[in-house]
Amino acid sequence: MSGLADLLQAYLGFMNPTSIALGLGGALLGIIVGILPGLSATLVIALLTTITIKLPAHNAILVLICSYVGALYGGSRTAILLNIPGTAANAASCADGYALAQRGEAGRAIGIATSGAFTGTLFGVLCLAAFTPSLAEVALSFGAYEFFWLALFGVTMSGTIVGNDPIKGWLMGALGLFVAQIGQEGLYAYNRFTFGWDELSGGISLIPALVGAFGLAEILTTLAEPAEKQLVELKDSVLPRFREVFQYWKTVLRSGVIGVLTGLLPGVGEDSGAWMSYAAAKATSKEKELFGKGSIDGLMAAETGDMASIPGHIIPALALGIPGSAPSAVLLAAMIIHGIQPGPMMMIEHPHFVYQVVAMTTLATITILIFGLFLVKPLLLILRIRRSVLMPVIYLLCTVGAFASASRLFDIYAMLAIGIGAFFLRRRGYQMAPFVLGLVLGPLLDKSLRRGLVLSDGSLAPFFTRPISLAFAIVTIFTMMLYIPAFKAGVQRVTGGFGSMVRSAVGRQPKGET
Amino acid sequence: MDAQPDPAAERDLFAAEDLTAAEAHAVASADLRAGVAWLAFGVAVLVGSITMDRLQNQHINPYTVPGLLPGCLGIATVLLGALLGIRSWRRGGRFLDVAWVRMSGAMVRRLAVVIGLVVVYSVVLVGHGLPFWLASAIFIVASILLLQRPQRAAAGRRLNARDVLFALTVGLASGWLITLVFQDAFLVRLP
Repeated sequence: MSGLADLLQAYLGFMNPTSIALGLGGALLGIIVGILPGLSATLVIALLTTITIKLPAHNAILVLICSYVGALYGGSRTAILLNIPGTAANAASCADGYALAQRGEAGRAIGIATSGAFTGTLFGVLCLAAFTPSLAEVALSFGAYEFFWLALFGVTMSGTIVGNDPIKGWLMGALGLFVAQIGQEGLYAYNRFTFGWDELSGGISLIPALVGAFGLAEILTTLAEPAEKQLVELKDSVLPRFREVFQYWKTVLRSGVIGVLTGLLPGVGEDSGAWMSYAAAKATSKEKELFGKGSIDGLMAAETGDMASIPGHIIPALALGIPGSAPSAVLLAAMIIHGIQPGPMMMIEHPHFVYQVVAMTTLATITILIFGLFLVKPLLLILRIRRSVLMPVIYLLCTVGAFASASRLFDIYAMLAIGIGAFFLRRRGYQMAPFVLGLVLGPLLDKSLRRGLVLSDGSLAPFFTRPISLAFAIVTIFTMMLYIPAFKAGVQRVTGGFGSMVRSAVGRQPKGET
Repeated sequence: MDAQPDPAAERDLFAAEDLTAAEAHAVASADLRAGVAWLAFGVAVLVGSITMDRLQNQHINPYTVPGLLPGCLGIATVLLGALLGIRSWRRGGRFLDVAWVRMSGAMVRRLAVVIGLVVVYSVVLVGHGLPFWLASAIFIVASILLLQRPQRAAAGRRLNARDVLFALTVGLASGWLITLVFQDAFLVRLP
């Protein structure tokens, strides 16, 4: 009961003009960035972390969550009207959304995306409220060994799932973990890999690195390829279609569950929520042949799945301190900047915060409904601005974003170097999400490994013998081994077609970043 | 029942792909070079970790030496880099990414211009005494005028006063607006 009272208290806490205005502003910026192809939820959260740095914690995180939800919602507009996903999470909406738009039903498609997004996020919010406190309670029994495996599991999973090539994914994960080791380490304040350069002893900060990898790299990509695509004309009404939510309630519910579950897996990303929901809807739908050609069922599944995974990603970020995706990694960093350390201890140190996050996510859901109702057409004007004008302005924001959190010029240079590096790596098929996860989880991995070894006096046994450690170890090693042909053949002989069925659902991934 | 071959289920490290021979060769050789580079990077990290101070004079627990995790990461990078190299050596080249297309000459030129602009702005203009709004306005005006040059050339027209005025307006407006919003409204320090 105290949980319900806390939740009510949290909702009431945001019922003031300032919070509502900030929430609406955050969602609006999120939607605008989401609509612009290439610019991602990660970038908008990183930039907004900078601008909200002086706000009180609850209002700052509210802005960030609203922009997160807004960006993924906004991305579906571009998927439907341009056949380009606004963010990677909207890739599954492209085929059906664009097919509907070409039939002159663009407004209907947008309406369905709005209602799917609203229902999906709301379902996720319910799970967030229900499961975060209990997960945090379970995690209280986690020690250094469990956190070591969790961190490693997050980076490995991200490398496996995101992109097409697991080796490149793991290499990027290892690179992220390595970059996180640069600078002063936590136990003895020893400077690692700084080569006597004072600026490096503070380490490579997350926000400048993210702004480089997701902002500058994207600016270079966009400006290097100047092809502009034609928008589909929007003729019919864009009002949300809740009739279809009832008609396809099974799809909505199934996609909600899949979205939240994929969200719970560390490092998997919102796009997996969308693709897996889409695959599941296709497998069970009565109108399979319509999928990819303008299926309402498919569009609803994709949009519900990706949006439900947002609260899903926030659950492990809050309860374990392990983010589920690149945007939630920035959210986690922002919480730490504002003095709230996510993880098992959070329910003890900041017991009200989880409920505040639930209230924030609910508010974010309502804001996208409001913008979906009133502001779809004017917001699309942003797509008509020439890129040669828009991108330099975005770069100004990237520079300010990299600089402002610590007021160091070095951070601007780090952003520049990482951005240019990320551009060339991405062209060669290396994805940025595992790198980000590595960067975020690097310090935790280092601390857990060394603490664990001290506790066990150098023995590796507890890393494999404690029950939860063992489970994480098996899953992590098994996932990596599955990509070794001989091992995979052996597993397939044992499991028959089951493994391939599951992995085919996971394996269908778009390219790009969320 | 006939099982459909599922492309996703075939993802393994050494599978071959039905690429054209030229494509496969391009990907394989690029990955081979990358594999060698990763391998060298991994070795460098490993050597750096092994030679790192073990803080023996501080009598720390030997299991907590600062180079422990970096060393493990170095080994992982060496193994993965070798795997990438071996896969390319065997002309696997399966994991073709759509982005993997050769850049055209025009693209390389555009890219060089953009990189030049951002480097000059971030390293030279910003943070060395010039007010942020002015540095930003210069960057925006230069970017818009330079990046729209190919379009003007394609349309067969020269730079005119209207183009310059437009670029100036965007540059000054964005410099002023960012200063106003970040510095004055949200109290964020600007470079």
